Amino acid sequence: MRFRIYRFDPDKQAKPALQDYELQLGPSDHKVLDALERLRAQDDSIGYRRSCREGVCGSDAMNINGRNMLACITPLAGLREPVTLRPLPGFPVIRDLIVDMTQFFRHYHEIRPYLVNHEPPPERERLQSPEERDKLNGLYECILCACCSSFCPSQWWNPEKFLGPAALLQAERFIIDSRDRATPERLAFLDDVYKLYRCRTIMNCTEVCPKNLSPARAIEHIRIQQLRRSG
Amino acid sequence: MRYPVGAVASIGHRISGVLLVLMLPFAVLALDRSLRSDAAFFAISGWLRLPAALLAWACAHHLFAGIRHLLTDVGIGASLPAARASAYAALIAAAAVGLAFLAL
Amino acid sequence: MTLLSGQRAFVFQRLSALVLLAYIAAAAVRLALGAPVTLAQWQAWAAQPLAAAALLVLALALVAHAWVGIRDVVLDYVRPFAVCVTVLGIAATGLALLAAWSALILVSHAL
Repeated sequence: MRFRIYRFDPDKQAKPALQDYELQLGPSDHKVLDALERLRAQDDSIGYRRSCREGVCGSDAMNINGRNMLACITPLAGLREPVTLRPLPGFPVIRDLIVDMTQFFRHYHEIRPYLVNHEPPPERERLQSPEERDKLNGLYECILCACCSSFCPSQWWNPEKFLGPAALLQAERFIIDSRDRATPERLAFLDDVYKLYRCRTIMNCTEVCPKNLSPARAIEHIRIQQLRRSG
Repeated sequence: MRYPVGAVASIGHRISGVLLVLMLPFAVLALDRSLRSDAAFFAISGWLRLPAALLAWACAHHLFAGIRHLLTDVGIGASLPAARASAYAALIAAAAVGLAFLAL
Repeated sequence: MTLLSGQRAFVFQRLSALVLLAYIAAAAVRLALGAPVTLAQWQAWAAQPLAAAALLVLALALVAHAWVGIRDVVLDYVRPFAVCVTVLGIAATGLALLAAWSALILVSHAL
């Protein structure tokens, strides 16, 4: 199988380049990550992140044949050759397929991704009905892989000021958590020119989410809640 | 970069919007001429077939993609399969309008 | 809503879109049901005060919708703050002039 991989080493080259590789796949090689591990045996200078190899850690998010995906759960079968691997678009490249996620996580921290509740804690836990718990479905499963935010054109045009689909989906996760008491502040925080309202509902985020979540729907729901609050 | 159909519809929405805004002065001019006299209004035809088709496409695409957005706002067609289908529908319908004007 | 609310712009965009949609639907129905409108009929209709007012509302909705749209485009692509504000100012002025011009045309025709 033929591969074309984005290579960039800031210490060695001035400009990034696509390098071609030819690989003999073994019987147990089913996913792109399997191929990458074999390619690394051929050329151990190829840099990429990976960890769980089962689609739950989000480390190996990359652009495969023009779409952001997780390498460990993307089947090799059916991929157009040469399989082109690029780093997540719009993020600064550290080396090869490794990108700088600092800004991505900064945006995540900005939305206060923790329960804010200053009421005295109950003896055991802050209770939540099954219906209230169900509202977190489609939000809590986010693995912060950045496939969505790095495929969002609005994020490309305003990387520092627009929070991006991942952070906004997490914002919604805490806004609708019945145990959280900071909803008005959270909604007010997102009501400015850039943080949420650069979103044009392009829906690239929903298209590429490897966990099949919909940041677009989460963002729309935040807008509706803001509307309800302002009367 | 392999863009989803929704992204194509979206950039079309933006391009058509900018085109329409650039056309606004001409639209107001046309309004002015249409309310004044017959002669002045019809004195702008002829070579306008291509720009007219482009304008028609811009109006149609912006309208259809806009309706698609308004429906998504109220939850209609917000799921991924539905959003893809409506994006295709908007793109094809708008292209059809543009081509129709070209054929006129 | 804060002063620089993103929500306000969003609501204006959607509301003006609905107004424009209503006008387009009304025009489509009128053209589909009735015989084609002649220029004389159009001029006579637009001369009535109520019709002129309706057309003025249409012009204002169009300008409002165009403004929010252009503002979004400029905010996305024009990055240096000072240039961004300048471009927005020019766009706003241009659209305001178009609105004023339309009002002038419609009012002078109705009178």
